[in-house]
Amino acid sequence: MKRDRFEPPGENRAEAAAGRRTVPIMLRRPHRLGWLPPLATAAAVLLTWSLVAASGWVQPAYLAPSPLEVWDAFVRANTYHPIGGGIDRVVRGEENYFLWEHLVVSLRRIGIGLALAVVVGVPLGLVMGTVPSVRRVAGPYLDVLRSIPPLAYMGFLVAWFGIYDTSKIWLLFLAAFPPIALATINGVRGVREDQVNAVLSLGASRRQAVTSVVLPATLPDILSGLRVAVGFAWTTVVAAELVNGLPGIGGLAYLSGTQNKIALSVACILVIGLTAIALDAVIRLIERTLVPWRGKA
Amino acid sequence: MTVQSVRTHADAIRVTEVEHVFASRATEVPALDRIDLTIEPGELVTLAGPSGCGKTTLLRLVAGFMAPSSGRIAVGEREVRGPGAERGVVFQQPTLYPWLDVRGNVVLGPRLRGVAKGERRARADTYLAMVGLTDVAERRPYELSGGMQQRVQIARVLANDPDIVLMDEPFGALDALTRERLQGELLTLWRATGKTVLFITHSVDEAVLLGSRVLVMSPRPGRIVLDETAPFARASADVDPAELRASPEFAAMTRRVREAIA
Repeated sequence: MKRDRFEPPGENRAEAAAGRRTVPIMLRRPHRLGWLPPLATAAAVLLTWSLVAASGWVQPAYLAPSPLEVWDAFVRANTYHPIGGGIDRVVRGEENYFLWEHLVVSLRRIGIGLALAVVVGVPLGLVMGTVPSVRRVAGPYLDVLRSIPPLAYMGFLVAWFGIYDTSKIWLLFLAAFPPIALATINGVRGVREDQVNAVLSLGASRRQAVTSVVLPATLPDILSGLRVAVGFAWTTVVAAELVNGLPGIGGLAYLSGTQNKIALSVACILVIGLTAIALDAVIRLIERTLVPWRGKA
Repeated sequence: MTVQSVRTHADAIRVTEVEHVFASRATEVPALDRIDLTIEPGELVTLAGPSGCGKTTLLRLVAGFMAPSSGRIAVGEREVRGPGAERGVVFQQPTLYPWLDVRGNVVLGPRLRGVAKGERRARADTYLAMVGLTDVAERRPYELSGGMQQRVQIARVLANDPDIVLMDEPFGALDALTRERLQGELLTLWRATGKTVLFITHSVDEAVLLGSRVLVMSPRPGRIVLDETAPFARASADVDPAELRASPEFAAMTRRVREAIA
């Protein structure tokens, strides 16, 4: 026990050993209070919210559901529950889907859209980054594409692909593909010339140089682009579900609001926010696993 | 049974009337001024000169990273038109790939050229042992010191078995002790493999100690102003470099090289 006396607090040491933080050690502040400040803040927010809901400042009262009411709506939306209002009927979740099923449908949409964006965006970025003439020809189109807010395509896509999933997946592809392609191009242009020269001097063909050096060297940038794209796609899918979005978490958030089920709408909003944070955490985990050298070489 | 360490089929490097000018939009900076040079197979040629004199430019031209403004560079009968596996390059900064471990870096050349898995691994381990890095084969390059990274880079080039090794101030960024040890290792490797080496340095001492032939380049535009055979690299491996350095011949040659640079 005594041996530990001169060592820094355990938490910081564990973090440093795991090498997880992207902030250099020198720039970190030691924090002694641990989880206390965030927990206290969360408690204060919930308390204030409950007080406002209970005070009756907001009229009519259903516009300001309390945290408990939101929780109830969340639970009801994930279970079989009686429809209420004196009618003796049990329904499944909301709109015949559980809330988590609405969420999964939305996640599936962005999953497919993102996968297509990666499959098209990364190779295109590699080619545009390595072949200047392709970059000169295709670059302006990519810039135009990037500057269009994705939702602008919605009406057009519905006309082309109908109101079902195809148009939404196209939309997500169009939202996610420019940031991925642009990040890839950026990454390729940032590859050190001598890293490529070195592999060519080892006898690599141009194609081998791209696959065995340029692509892995660009991986950190591709993942950064993917992170931006995921955020973008999530924002877009929620908005896109305003049109025939059921099942879908964005559709449910919208519909419940229009039906004055404010507690359910708030529950959906919170789920959307927390999902966004979880998605970001997943991408950062992938980054740490695939690019352990980031910031070191 | 005789051990044939010096290969006879290797080709000479011929640099013929090479000039090179770096042109930007507004200005033209002449870097090399009419270089004529033949490096015979098995020579260890050191090229010294002040920084910015164009010695790295010459190396990069021979490596095929760029084409000379005029003149011709050939290895044997074949003109250099780009990088190639017969000309290995050791860069000033170790250009190791962080997504591969040390062994992965060393087997890269043989792997890209389709050498069978068992053989390339054996070859990598031979050269890792030669540079004394067997125990870090599974580590990532960024976990190693600068000197170790430089040795990995040398092992990577040798495992690819090039006839010619082009070295661009490979020990320039290292501390004095590491540098001296790697100089000794380089001489041992050269004596054992008989490869043709072009070694760039800004250190007069290093040029004289390592070169079987010493070249000096003048400040920009670079021109070769001294070209002498040197005996010290061919000295027996048993002779302590400190002893060589203390000899009057070493001092005299060092002086001549120094005067040529100034």
